[in-house]
Amino acid sequence: MVGQSGTGKTTLVRCLIGEEQPTEGKITIGDWDITRLSKNQIPFLRRQVAVIFQDFKLLPKKTLFENVAFALEVAGKSGDKIRSIVPQVMKIVGLGSKMKRYPHEVSGGEQQRAAIARALVYQPKVLLADEPTGNLDSINAQEIVDLLKKINEFGTTVVLVTHNREIVNRLKRRVVTLHDGRVISDQAVGKYSL
Amino acid sequence: MFISLARAAKFSLQDIIRNVWLSLVTIIILVLAFFSVNLLLSVQVISKAAIDTVRDKIDVSLYLKNDSAESDILALRAQISAMDNVREVIYVSKQQALEDFQTKHQNNPDILEALRELDTNPLSPSLIVRPSDINKYETLITNLNRLSSPIIESRNFDDQSLMLQKINSITDRVSQAGFVVSLLFIFITLLVLYNTIRVAIYTHRTEIGIERLVGASDWFIRAPFIISSLIYTLIGLILSSAIFYIFLTLLQPYLEAFFMNYSFNIINYFQANALQFFVLEFIGAALINITASLVAVRKYSNV
Repeated sequence: MVGQSGTGKTTLVRCLIGEEQPTEGKITIGDWDITRLSKNQIPFLRRQVAVIFQDFKLLPKKTLFENVAFALEVAGKSGDKIRSIVPQVMKIVGLGSKMKRYPHEVSGGEQQRAAIARALVYQPKVLLADEPTGNLDSINAQEIVDLLKKINEFGTTVVLVTHNREIVNRLKRRVVTLHDGRVISDQAVGKYSL
Repeated sequence: MFISLARAAKFSLQDIIRNVWLSLVTIIILVLAFFSVNLLLSVQVISKAAIDTVRDKIDVSLYLKNDSAESDILALRAQISAMDNVREVIYVSKQQALEDFQTKHQNNPDILEALRELDTNPLSPSLIVRPSDINKYETLITNLNRLSSPIIESRNFDDQSLMLQKINSITDRVSQAGFVVSLLFIFITLLVLYNTIRVAIYTHRTEIGIERLVGASDWFIRAPFIISSLIYTLIGLILSSAIFYIFLTLLQPYLEAFFMNYSFNIINYFQANALQFFVLEFIGAALINITASLVAVRKYSNV
């Protein structure tokens, strides 16, 4: 999903995770109508629709392992399960050796990987990535995009919101272009055309 | 449920240790708050004891004729004891009066010399009457004035009556002022506590947002803060109790000097009521802290 700043990309993401409610229309994920979710249903939505951000949003006083484990702990998963799932997921994102580090002790790319690992522990149906490479240099950005591609190949729908022309053009995937809050183009194999 | 509670406790302890400076500051403020409340309490206790001592010293003396017979005196004493509002009647014999006089003036050789030059004991026996209820002092005076006995030499109670009125008005004002100051002070302490906890949670505002984003329920976000505030309250209370106890042991000698013969021990007072104070202070502070936690977390739990 591409579009200029202020065109409504982040608002769309916020609607998809139940942080904001649309004034009109309907949002359905699978068969689940999430347009008007009650406050106590939101935690369940967050386990189906995971999200990562430009600023990673890791808990600063927890290690990378604890950050990932936290997502499972909030859902009351057992300690055994957590100790088996978390290292696996962290290995997938390439953080197997840095689980005991705190966020401020690793690079931006590694922080984003930890955020992705946290998003993946529930095997969500959808992964929303809101400008995930915005704070990263081009090498780290490419690695994150490769990781997202791999996740998509495992069967998770990835919605990548970006205004990085290079990344969009190299991916050669479906591109939805937003302008002034409206979809102005939707191509099956698209290019960045703004 | 149990696993969530255990996790909340784990997060709370982790947070206290990993934010050690913030935890220290919070605990220190709690210690100060508890200490001030205890201090206020002791001021109340001491001033009440002081008022009681003063009231306790109010008595009226009936001076008896020098040649009164012992049996007459004892009969009069029994008669007064039977009156309303009389706590006790102390008989001070001639000999006793002399001894008291000598002790009182033991540092004044001139007076003692003058006394020695007299062959006989110049002092008269007396009856000291202590009222049981200081507020019904007037009726006691009336009753004593009505008393007719040939052995009574003098009874002049006017001075005491005036003094008593003054003492009563002063002590009443002291306790009123004390009450108002206490209320004000407790209110300020509550505000300080409330804001301390709010500040502690303010520093966690981004974390609260992130926790919600990851799918934590309200309860799961709040529980660690509630547990932390209970832990802070408990540590603060234990520390302040220890410091306060040391403070009291330092204070007690001065109080003993101040109250002299009147037996008053503030350490005993606090020891006797320790459990009650501890529990009440803990509940009070914990309620404030939990309220502050809930309000603050609610405020910051929107991403």
